[in-house]
Amino acid sequence: MRVFLSLLALAVIALGIAMTLTDIPFGKPKADIATHYVENGREDTGAVNIITSVVLGYRGFDTLGEVAVLFVAAMGLGAVLATGTRTPKANGWEPASLVLYTGCRFLFPLIVLFGAYIFIHGHLTPGGGFQGGAIIASAFLLTYLGCRGRRVHEAWSSAVESLGGLTFVVLGLAGLTAAGHYFLSAFLPAGTLGQLFSGGIIPLIYIAIGLKVGSELAGVIDRLVEESQ
Amino acid sequence: MSELEAGPQRPARPMPGPPGGAPAGGVRSFIWLIVLLFAVWLILTSSFHWQELIVGAALSLIMAIALNRVYQQLGMPPLTPWRLLNMIAFATILAIEIIKANLDVAWRVIHPKLPIRPGIVVIRTELQQDIAKLILANSITLTPGTFTLDIIGDELLIHWIDVRAEDIETATKLIGGRFEKYLRRIFK
Repeated sequence: MRVFLSLLALAVIALGIAMTLTDIPFGKPKADIATHYVENGREDTGAVNIITSVVLGYRGFDTLGEVAVLFVAAMGLGAVLATGTRTPKANGWEPASLVLYTGCRFLFPLIVLFGAYIFIHGHLTPGGGFQGGAIIASAFLLTYLGCRGRRVHEAWSSAVESLGGLTFVVLGLAGLTAAGHYFLSAFLPAGTLGQLFSGGIIPLIYIAIGLKVGSELAGVIDRLVEESQ
Repeated sequence: MSELEAGPQRPARPMPGPPGGAPAGGVRSFIWLIVLLFAVWLILTSSFHWQELIVGAALSLIMAIALNRVYQQLGMPPLTPWRLLNMIAFATILAIEIIKANLDVAWRVIHPKLPIRPGIVVIRTELQQDIAKLILANSITLTPGTFTLDIIGDELLIHWIDVRAEDIETATKLIGGRFEKYLRRIFK
């Protein structure tokens, strides 16, 4: 009896899955949103990079949510790893070799510049705020590896992070009051396609995201270093 | 948590602490930093459009102001025409040495008798600045056959594929001499 009931339940589930799957038209585009994005993305948002036009032009609100998720993740990590007081600087750590020590100090500004280049050109070239922020955080990681004992200035880091998030929200609210009448509407002139000063609010938002992600990930690395001491 | 292992004794290196009075050469390192950053920006954007130039210049300026303190400790040389000339000469010599060393190592690899005599030697350098030592160490590493393992004080530990001399003076002349001549002119 139990076997029969189990088989019956399985059959019902199988039927349900089969019916659901046959209803999905695989391979056929159900909505023509994607083609709309590809064909009109440049004109609608002013961003040459179509991925950016989707991420920040059409789906800017969603990106604000993603930034919030990253923020919560970094905060959660901080709460889990927080040891109460910041441990004193590098006692008993053997300093890195002079090659590494000097090299990382020499390279740090250049890596940060590269990250800034990536997020400033987010609307023109591949990449954007998240990628640029990750590159900037990698510069901090290099500092932790090469110049042991150097730490992120916590007040500066949280100031930059807050400023980034605030800029994003303020730009969105400004869209509410200005021409577009909806949150994150493109209220700034789109400019000439392909130039650096174009795309309305998109480059501004990407700069804000880049700074925010960079300081957040640097903070995460800082927390982990603190914990491993 | 931190276990102190009995490793090779290193001379204590002062950790860069809080800014205690600007050391000499602050302006020089600032110029170096801003020129370097702007050059990298130009290479990345590969465009002379006025918007790119303005943003690049502003970014270089801000970052140079913020990060100058770190560069001050590196000991960048002054930018004079004579030194620039020597930098170009050094780059040329380095390129030639890399090609020569490549051919030499390739010859050793395909030779049936495998004429290698690997070992670690110590060489000495007269260079003072951190960045000068770094360039010397990396030039030695870039040329195949020699590899800088570590820098301790004014001595460099080199792994050599064909140890031709074990005493410091001869090894220094053979490995570091070709680069150090130009580096000394640049950094003194």
